[in-house]
Amino acid sequence: MAVKFFGQFLVEKGVVTRDDLLKAMDLQERKNLKLGEMAMAMGYVTEADINRAHNAQLSKDIRLGDMLVEMGIMTAEQLADVITRQKNTHLYIGEALVLVNAITSEQLQEHLDAFKADQADYAVSGIELPMELANSPLWEMAADLTFKMITRVLGLQYRVGKCRLDAHIAHNFMFAAIDLSGDASFRYLLSVSEGLQKTIAKAILHEDEVDGEPVEVLEDTVMEFINIVCGNVAAKSSQMGKILNIEPPLTIDVPAAGLEVPQDYVALCFPIHAAEGERMELILQIPR
Amino acid sequence: MQKVLVVDDSLSVARQLQKIIEGAGDFTFVGHAKNGAEAIKMNHSENPDIICMDMNMPGMDGLTALRSLTVLDKDVKVVMVTSLGGVGDKFAEAIKLGARNVISKPFEAENVLKVLREL
Repeated sequence: MAVKFFGQFLVEKGVVTRDDLLKAMDLQERKNLKLGEMAMAMGYVTEADINRAHNAQLSKDIRLGDMLVEMGIMTAEQLADVITRQKNTHLYIGEALVLVNAITSEQLQEHLDAFKADQADYAVSGIELPMELANSPLWEMAADLTFKMITRVLGLQYRVGKCRLDAHIAHNFMFAAIDLSGDASFRYLLSVSEGLQKTIAKAILHEDEVDGEPVEVLEDTVMEFINIVCGNVAAKSSQMGKILNIEPPLTIDVPAAGLEVPQDYVALCFPIHAAEGERMELILQIPR
Repeated sequence: MQKVLVVDDSLSVARQLQKIIEGAGDFTFVGHAKNGAEAIKMNHSENPDIICMDMNMPGMDGLTALRSLTVLDKDVKVVMVTSLGGVGDKFAEAIKLGARNVISKPFEAENVLKVLREL
């Protein structure tokens, strides 16, 4: 019921053991060259160049490849060449498991098909953003996974309104947020009405009634829900080649007048309407 | 009966896991730590057989705590219960650091018990 890594899927199904996986990961580490190692193997850079670029990265937070280009050590074309070679020669975990004799090639194909079927529900579909933005596929995926998790985890029936690009965030009963950083930095915010906070609490706690629950438990369930969504967003994002780090969830106090989005950011707002006037809103606060 | 310690900053996750563990009949729930540092203290005071631990927690996170726990206590079996289970690098790091398994959130009771019983 979550976005998974293929190795995890195989261990969970009991197809391979933890020791098989460790052997396969060890083989991957030996065979899959890092960007600097591959650039050296292709004769584009020397070890001294890599060390200089690593030192420069201490004062500027960019990837090694981009740093090598910025420092004039490698051209953009050479970097593209290195990345292509890395992709073409990459040993995937399934192939590594075959090489360490944990599974056969036939079993690999069979389990890959089962894995694709298991993960098919998490394929991104049908999100329309109001305009083309940097990292659009990431925002579309984050919104899409949120809607899928609302269905799967909360069992809620809802309708998603048109996505807006806003500089103002409207007030709601409660706001929970998670900051994400890495290959993209943004804040994931979910605002919920009082009734939907209870719906989320019932689903997360597996309880029929939550009226007697303390406020901190009710708030905690909303934070846990967005934690689940953002963890799965990070997993899907890593499959898309973008690594995201996620901070622990927090609640945000929003005044009745709402919140102004900081000047350097825009808010992608997805209104979500549930039964009887209950409302939640997904807000992705992204850099301009 | 095997003793289980739950480590998660979320009260609701701790409650869910407590309910699953106590309802199973073959495990004893010994407590809830809210971060990695508390987990190390409670591992010493409660001496659990199994620790179910989140990765993403304020203060000491789960992977840092896992690194310490596997050095301090060679017998304790740690299972990571996390929304980050599907992130290949995090999964691989947890397994390499000595986690016996990784359960992704959202989880189902049967899956949690299956993993704990197979340890």
